[in-house]
Amino acid sequence: MGEPYEDSHLNGDSKKPELSFFITESQLREEFAHHQPLVARINNGSFGSCPASIIAAQRRWQLKFLQQPDDFFVNHLQSHILHSRTLVKHLINADDVDEVSIVDNATTAAAIVLQHVGWAFAKGRFQKGDAVVMLHCAFQAVKKSIEAYVTRAGGSVVVVQLPFPLSSTEEIVVAFRKGLARGKANGRKVRLAIIDHITSMPCVVIPVRELVRICREEGVDQVFVDAAHAIGSVHVDVKDIGADFYVSNLHKWFFCPPSVAFLHCRKLPVMPDLHHPVVSHEYGNGLAIESAWIGTRDYSSQLVVPEVLDFIDRFEGGIEGIRKRNHDAVVQMAEMLAKAWGTNLGSPPDMCPSMAMVGLPASLGISSDADASKLRTHLRDHFGVEVPLHYQAPKENEIEAENGDRDSLITGYARISHQVYNTVDDYHKFRDAINQLVQDMIKVLQRMGCRPINKTHKGHNHEGGVKIDSSKGEKLLVLGD
Amino acid sequence: MFLSRSLHEPLSATTSSSLSSMASHHHQNGDSTVTTTHSPPSKKLKPTPITPSELLAEFSHHQPSTARINNGSFGSCPASIISAQRNYQLQYLEQPDDFYFNRLKPSILKTRSIIKDLINADHVDEISVVDNATTAAAIVLQHITWSFFESKFDKGDTAVMLHYAYGAVKKSVQAYVTRAGGEVIEVKLPFPLKSNDEIITEFKKALEKGKSNGRKIRLAVIDHVTSMPCVVIPVKELVKICRDEGVDRIFVDAAHAIGCTEVDMQDIGADFYTSNLHKWFFCPPSVAFLYCRKTDKVADLHHPVVSHEYGNGLAVESAWIGTRDYSAQLVLPEVMDFLSRFEGGIDGIRKRNHERVVEMGEMLAEAWGTHLGSPPEMCASLAMVGMPACLGISSDSDALKLRTHLRECFGVEVPIYYRAPNDGEFNPITGYARISHQVYNTTEDYYKFRDAVNKLVNDAFTCTLLSD
Repeated sequence: MGEPYEDSHLNGDSKKPELSFFITESQLREEFAHHQPLVARINNGSFGSCPASIIAAQRRWQLKFLQQPDDFFVNHLQSHILHSRTLVKHLINADDVDEVSIVDNATTAAAIVLQHVGWAFAKGRFQKGDAVVMLHCAFQAVKKSIEAYVTRAGGSVVVVQLPFPLSSTEEIVVAFRKGLARGKANGRKVRLAIIDHITSMPCVVIPVRELVRICREEGVDQVFVDAAHAIGSVHVDVKDIGADFYVSNLHKWFFCPPSVAFLHCRKLPVMPDLHHPVVSHEYGNGLAIESAWIGTRDYSSQLVVPEVLDFIDRFEGGIEGIRKRNHDAVVQMAEMLAKAWGTNLGSPPDMCPSMAMVGLPASLGISSDADASKLRTHLRDHFGVEVPLHYQAPKENEIEAENGDRDSLITGYARISHQVYNTVDDYHKFRDAINQLVQDMIKVLQRMGCRPINKTHKGHNHEGGVKIDSSKGEKLLVLGD
Repeated sequence: MFLSRSLHEPLSATTSSSLSSMASHHHQNGDSTVTTTHSPPSKKLKPTPITPSELLAEFSHHQPSTARINNGSFGSCPASIISAQRNYQLQYLEQPDDFYFNRLKPSILKTRSIIKDLINADHVDEISVVDNATTAAAIVLQHITWSFFESKFDKGDTAVMLHYAYGAVKKSVQAYVTRAGGEVIEVKLPFPLKSNDEIITEFKKALEKGKSNGRKIRLAVIDHVTSMPCVVIPVKELVKICRDEGVDRIFVDAAHAIGCTEVDMQDIGADFYTSNLHKWFFCPPSVAFLYCRKTDKVADLHHPVVSHEYGNGLAVESAWIGTRDYSAQLVLPEVMDFLSRFEGGIDGIRKRNHERVVEMGEMLAEAWGTHLGSPPEMCASLAMVGMPACLGISSDSDALKLRTHLRECFGVEVPIYYRAPNDGEFNPITGYARISHQVYNTTEDYYKFRDAVNKLVNDAFTCTLLSD
């Protein structure tokens, strides 16, 4: 797929034409030329990215609708959504295209699965108090969806705490077994386990295949894998993973425009009775058909999957090649940053997908979610660096072991992403910004004759990401408001 | 496929280079109505009255060979609004985090404020922006489901809706009311119609039924402008009757209404009211509002797609339902500018559309020897025109096949409604075309339709000739 690009005949060269099949550096730059040039965009994980040629393809679809919407609706839409579904089926090794529905995003997929759980409680198939298990770092939207559909319907929620930072997948497996056992305590039935394939914040790759197996062993009714980040970032084989429901966003790491995701629902033993919450005349025709028409809207982002596969083919090794290079690059950049700042990664490299958690210098004094948020804004507004930051509350034993061991008191982690458009300069810019901030703090402290505070002391106030030494009553360095 | 170049050049095929150049070009062809991406809005020029050639240019992306007399189904969007939408899309793509944190919420709030003023609502909190009326129906009806589950309603309590309710709404009622244990009463309305009285009589009968055996009517779903067949329903009267009869809540499905008939929340008095802005209000697909009256007994409505905003009120929940393209919801300021270029603004457009569609409806009825399905005052910007009986439309399937035939062989896009004849009717008219009129339509569109049908009649065409 994809035509070779013959560039030699442009200047009348009569020699044998050189075929450059793969995308060139300048073509790649052009594809992402719409990205704001002044920003070191190292957050592909949040909102993804879309090449210009795919945007152009999307606009052609939008135009087709606008030109003659009735004809588009009657003659084109359904067949092209089916085509997208079929391509996805192959990508993820699903058995049957009926198992693949296209929805807006993982948030919508979660609502679909959880609404189904809600009905089961309401209809008495599940008993009051039956449990749903989730990870403590589940995406906030999913947590709220559990509240809206499970808790409200009388179900109970078991939260499995995962450690962070991590040294191995074994720590996750152990924690999950413990959490699941707790969930089943007092004979409670676990109706659904929601497991991230790649957690959002902090970001690590979860050994889902193993956790799904554990769920089956422990008699969990159904397993829903929230793999929002997975496709394009790690290998996805839904048969191998073996979950009942599996969702991933195609606009994060698979170059689709906002927004499009697939929800895979295993047909075995029976096709579950899921419904899209936005009910149209297709109600009752199966989730895939229901999802393909939820009223008049712009479905164009769901139609460009063929063009995206063509785009991916222009990279050596296709999506596997892109994935591997992203992973290698993000680990390399993370280690560069950790070295420059004297910190560490939040997990071993093999638990990083195309993102990595890099510890921020403890001297920045990040001591709350609000601090992390303000520092992030500061980095965007003053340094042109876009990167999400995670606050990790120190464990009790860490607070005790104060002296000297800075590493154990790292409370802030940056989640850096690497996608094909990133360059080394992006990460250097981030490195330098943080170094600048650390230097600024030291200078201010020196000017004020204060002792540098690089630990978390109980009982001290803090504002805007900085400690106020209450004994001296001085504000040290305030970021943001 | 390249679009013919228009004055605004917003819909030409986009290449990689033009995508990035749009980021830096602040004006295209010196056109000051194209919004900029980065710079703050410059001093806005007063919108000039739109000329006929500018109007042509605004809709030059419509397929030229089609007589597009079906604005009612999917609406229409001028080129300058598409261009504005693309600017928002581009802003997002350039720096999505910045867009999400700094621009999206204020933009949606602006949209909600504009709508609040348009529909004479009391408070912007009452206005939520959603994808379409189908979504709004799901929101209202899911609330009914919870009320049944949480035993606020009793099994067998009823919901009343019109027989002509939109297909999606009927299914939604099935999915959320019937499935939860509620019962549904349908109001059978006659068609063709002579007056509002026929509707009011049937409606009262249905309410009686809904209250029978000590049941409570928990919800009335009333169309403002029915879809097929299309008539304007006297919603104000029906809402009043509902209040008199102790109906819990009233939901008006007004998918067509805004831009097509008068919409005044204080005047109509419903609890919930939804209308699509992409049908008759020149917005791109898709955007609608759901109005929820602020009362003492607060209805705890939620968007079914739950995000981190859950619990912050429907309007805030609806403004973030995960990563998506929200650009269609952001162009209302530009649409207001567009409307001000027409004499009388949206009211003028509405009035002229109504007059023209009635005129064209009557022209067709006369040419074919048929009649309109309702009196002109029950038509909005759409009209039901009887089709010659000899065409032999004798089922929904026939109507659909004839519609396809008109599209493929005559280049006419118009939906056709099958109406089962009553017993003893002589030579009944069983097919009605729902013609629309919007600012881009010309008389030629309706002549094309007239001539197509006349040809079919002259050729002794009947629907039995159409294969499955």
